[in-house]
Amino acid sequence: MKKKKDIKVLLVDDEKAFVDTLAQRLSMRELIVDKVYDGEQALSYIQKMDPDVIVLDLKMPGLHGIEVLREIKKIKHEIQVIILTGHGTDKDEEEAKKLGGFDFLRKPADIDLLISKIKEAFMEKFERAMTAAAFAEEGYFEQAQKIMKKEE
Amino acid sequence: MEQNHATTPQLQFIGKVLSAFSHEINNHLAITKESVGLIGDFIECGKTSRKDLREILGIIDSIQNQIKKTSFFFDRLNGFSHGMEAPLSSFSVHGCLEDLIVLLQRLAYQKQVRLEKDFAANMPLIENSPFRLQFLIYCLIDMHIKRIDKNSSITIKTSWSNNSVQISVIPKGNEIKTEEEGICNDELYHSIAQQLGGSIVRDTTNAATTFLLPGSEPSVRCGSR
Repeated sequence: MKKKKDIKVLLVDDEKAFVDTLAQRLSMRELIVDKVYDGEQALSYIQKMDPDVIVLDLKMPGLHGIEVLREIKKIKHEIQVIILTGHGTDKDEEEAKKLGGFDFLRKPADIDLLISKIKEAFMEKFERAMTAAAFAEEGYFEQAQKIMKKEE
Repeated sequence: MEQNHATTPQLQFIGKVLSAFSHEINNHLAITKESVGLIGDFIECGKTSRKDLREILGIIDSIQNQIKKTSFFFDRLNGFSHGMEAPLSSFSVHGCLEDLIVLLQRLAYQKQVRLEKDFAANMPLIENSPFRLQFLIYCLIDMHIKRIDKNSSITIKTSWSNNSVQISVIPKGNEIKTEEEGICNDELYHSIAQQLGGSIVRDTTNAATTFLLPGSEPSVRCGSR
C-alpha cells in the first residue's frame, strides 16, 4: 500500500488565503500538494500532471466547479474529485455525484475529515487501477478499460 | 404551484443577497479555521524558532483581518435588513447603495465584473423605502451584469440637483448576447420606480440606466455615510 506521501493532491479555489493555508497544512501531513486558483488553471494543470485527488471549489470566477468536474472526467476520468465549497446547494451535490465526484464537503470543513476523504478517494483509485491491471494482464482489455472508467 | 408574481422577484433578490452573504462568510470562516489550525500544527510539531514565531504572528494578523472583514459584511447585512423593517424611513442614499454594492460584490466577481461607485458629495437623507430603492438598483445591476462581457465594470453614480436624486447604473465593457433572464423585466423596473415616486430614463449613448427621484427635500446633508 502506498504511503500518504505518495498521494498527489491538487487544490482548486479562488480564495488564495484559504488555498495557501490549507496547502501548508496538508503538506505538513505528508501529502504532496499543488494549488491553482481557478478552473481554467486546473484543466491546464491536469494536461501536464497527474494528481490522484483534486479538491475543487464550486463558485469561482470563470468556469463553475461543476463544469470543471465535467471536463476533468472527460480528460482524465481516473482522477478523484472532492468538492469543497462554501456555496453548495443540494442540486450541486447531486450533479457532482452524477458526474463522478467522489464526495461533497462544505466549508469550513474539518481537516481530519478532509484528509480521510482524500485517503479514501486515493484508495478507491488505487484498487481500481490494480483490478484493471489484473484484467489487462489476462488479456481482458475492454473490461479493464470499463473498470478504469467506473462503468462496471 | 400557485406563485405570487408581485413578490417573487423581491424574494429572489433577498435570496441572492443572502446566498452571496453566506458564501462570503463561509469563506472567511474557512480561512479563519485553517489559520487557527495551522497555528495548532506549528505548536504540535514544536516549531517555535524565531522564524516560526514570526510566521505565527503573521497568521494571527491574517485571522484578525478575517474577523474585521466578517464584521464589515455583517454591518452591511445589518444595514440591508433594517431597510426592510419599515415601508418608509429617512435614510442615506449612499449608505443604502453602499450596503447593496458590498453585498453584490461577490456575485459580480464571479461574473468577472467590477462594481464601482462614483458618489456625489452632499447627498441629502431622503424619506422613502430603502428596500425598494435597493431592489430597483439591484434589478438594473443584474440586467447589466448579464449583458456585458467579463473584465467589464458597472459604475453606480449618484448626483443631486434641483431637489432631485439621480442614480445611474453605467456599464463599461463589450455587450454580449445572452439567453439568461434577468430577475425583473422593463415593466417591473418602471413599476418599482413609480412606487418610489420617480422614473427610469435610458441613455442610448452609453447604455446607462438612470433612476430619477424628484422632490426629495434635504433634511440633512451627508457624504457617503
